[in-house]
Amino acid sequence: MKDVISDIARNVGADAAASVAPAIPEEERTFLRPGASPGGGGKGDAALVLRSAEFRRGREHVWRALDEMIDRVEKRGVETLSAEEVRRLPLLYRATMSSLSVARHIALDRNLLLYLENLALRAYLVVYGPRSGVLVCLKDFLRGGFPRAVRSMLPHLAVALAALLCGALAGYLLVRADPDTFGLLVPGDLAGGRGPGSTREELLHEELFAPWPGFVHAFVVFADSLFRHNAMVGLLCFGLGFALGVPTLILLLCNGLMLGAFLALHVERGLGVEFMAWLSIHGVTEILAVLLCAAAGLVVAEKIVFPGRLSRLENLARHGRAAASAAAGAVLLFFAAGILEGGFRQLIASTPGRFGVALLTGAWWLFYFSRCGRGGDDGKLR
Amino acid sequence: MANYAERVDRTFGDFRRARRALSTPEGVPLEIQIPGHGERMSAFLLDVLFMGAGVFCLYLVLVFLFFSGSPWLIGRTVILFLAFVVRNLYFLHFELAWQGRTPGKKICGLRVISRRGGELSPGAVIARNLTREVEFFLPLSLVFGLGMGNLWGNLALLGWVLCISAVPLFNRDHLRAGDLLGGTRVIAMPRRTLSGDLAERENGPGTREFVFTHEQLGIYGAFELQVLEEVLRRSQGPGNDALLAEVCLKIRHKIGWKETLPPGSERRFLTDFYAAERAELERGQLMGHLREDKNTTEKPALRTVR
Repeated sequence: MKDVISDIARNVGADAAASVAPAIPEEERTFLRPGASPGGGGKGDAALVLRSAEFRRGREHVWRALDEMIDRVEKRGVETLSAEEVRRLPLLYRATMSSLSVARHIALDRNLLLYLENLALRAYLVVYGPRSGVLVCLKDFLRGGFPRAVRSMLPHLAVALAALLCGALAGYLLVRADPDTFGLLVPGDLAGGRGPGSTREELLHEELFAPWPGFVHAFVVFADSLFRHNAMVGLLCFGLGFALGVPTLILLLCNGLMLGAFLALHVERGLGVEFMAWLSIHGVTEILAVLLCAAAGLVVAEKIVFPGRLSRLENLARHGRAAASAAAGAVLLFFAAGILEGGFRQLIASTPGRFGVALLTGAWWLFYFSRCGRGGDDGKLR
Repeated sequence: MANYAERVDRTFGDFRRARRALSTPEGVPLEIQIPGHGERMSAFLLDVLFMGAGVFCLYLVLVFLFFSGSPWLIGRTVILFLAFVVRNLYFLHFELAWQGRTPGKKICGLRVISRRGGELSPGAVIARNLTREVEFFLPLSLVFGLGMGNLWGNLALLGWVLCISAVPLFNRDHLRAGDLLGGTRVIAMPRRTLSGDLAERENGPGTREFVFTHEQLGIYGAFELQVLEEVLRRSQGPGNDALLAEVCLKIRHKIGWKETLPPGSERRFLTDFYAAERAELERGQLMGHLREDKNTTEKPALRTVR
């Protein structure tokens, strides 16, 4: 009992003195002092004393003022508040919060209690709402959030790379040993007519140095279909991290197998170097993006499987944002890779030229992920 | 308080949502309501509708400006690319600019908040919306693409992905996988208005017509008081006289009110009873022993709210 009363006393005291006093101009302040309310109070012949009614009379105008402000912000944004109102908002908010905590102890008026709960929550969401618009966020993200997120998951990136390389090695060895396994490893729609039956000439002229399909077709149709397909695979890699990362690793192994199978097919026909150039012009970016997505998926899986001291939910919420940022950035990488693959790969029809572009992009990503956003505010995207 | 609110809702058969507490930096826990699956689904479908309309308009403008007369293949590419960009930026933009609300959520009265309290960070918004791609749009494209390519492979993939889409069905806060990752949750925000205080007589603080004794006021508790408040508020219009008379009769019987009421004075009687009962109960509450309901037999032990 004692602590309830002292609680109330503290709250009433805080309500009238600390929270509201600086917020409300002098002439309004008298209204807020308990007992100084105008209008008498319900003193009938039954001498009915309704504390909650008196309490409400003294503070209602504060709630109404806050309500009106919040209403405007909800309808038309924070910009509609004047400088004076922006200054008053947190003060009115705190006053309302303390009104609410007092009301919970002294009032039984259902309508009043529900209204105050609702108003306090709405005000809370305005006061602690998101601060920056989408453009500012994108800038922060590219400048620091993305590379920092990538740097935070280097071990996972290594695991993902290992899985991909294992797959590639297995695929290469299998197809070298028996060319017919190519049909098993690469699904028909991805093989696109290439297979153990392809001759060196076919591969050279129809694939590696295929004729330029025209600007619009290359940069719009082909690049876009590649981008969407790859982004989908990448996001799958990431999302399937929720299934404890098992499908993520399977996807990586499968992609590695296909890569190895293609490599073996070309090496067998003496086209190893040309194939590597053809692949790496976009592959540096694309494979990096796949690895990023997979690493993000593995982070999610790790946080679910090994929550440590925190609960799984809490652990996931803490690390999930960095993982998701990495995956979101990987989507941008897929976009770049799509342009490189759909357009520039056919435009640059020489092996050294392709290697040159691959080296440049590789150096750029290395620089970007290792140097950008160092010493920045790491808390923002976490 | 929360428990009465819920009990009263239940008594009136109102639509109820699960309630949780949200801790604020001010130290006052706030009550939040978890929306049902239907509410979230309808908000999302509205958003999809708006986005579809937006993409279509953009497409028409682009085709008109740049690609007039080009083949369908290019049109299809443009529309698919636009859809990808628009659906990702749409949620990102609105959840950041409109304090966690997209147009669909705004219409349905929903809102995204940070689960830990505090600011809804851009990273959280990115996380919850990127995952949406895996949760919804990817299974959708898989379903449409089932006929093409490797059927069993696609079915297996669909199975995995549907596991992720089904996450909200298996936790008590209806969190999506994206909410888990971003540390966010969606809450329902019904708008409430402050009505006049029922205990205040309309004609000013005049004399009370009916006076009750201490014993008569000691029969009911806070729960019945709030039910009575709801009855009085909901029966404002004409045509509720029968209901009021019935309630009045029950209360009179229960508290042993012997005198007869002048006809047509039921509302005045109930209002006076409400005011007197509330004054009585609030006095008790202030002293630390609030009578919860009529079945509370003895003086309850100290009970802090929440």
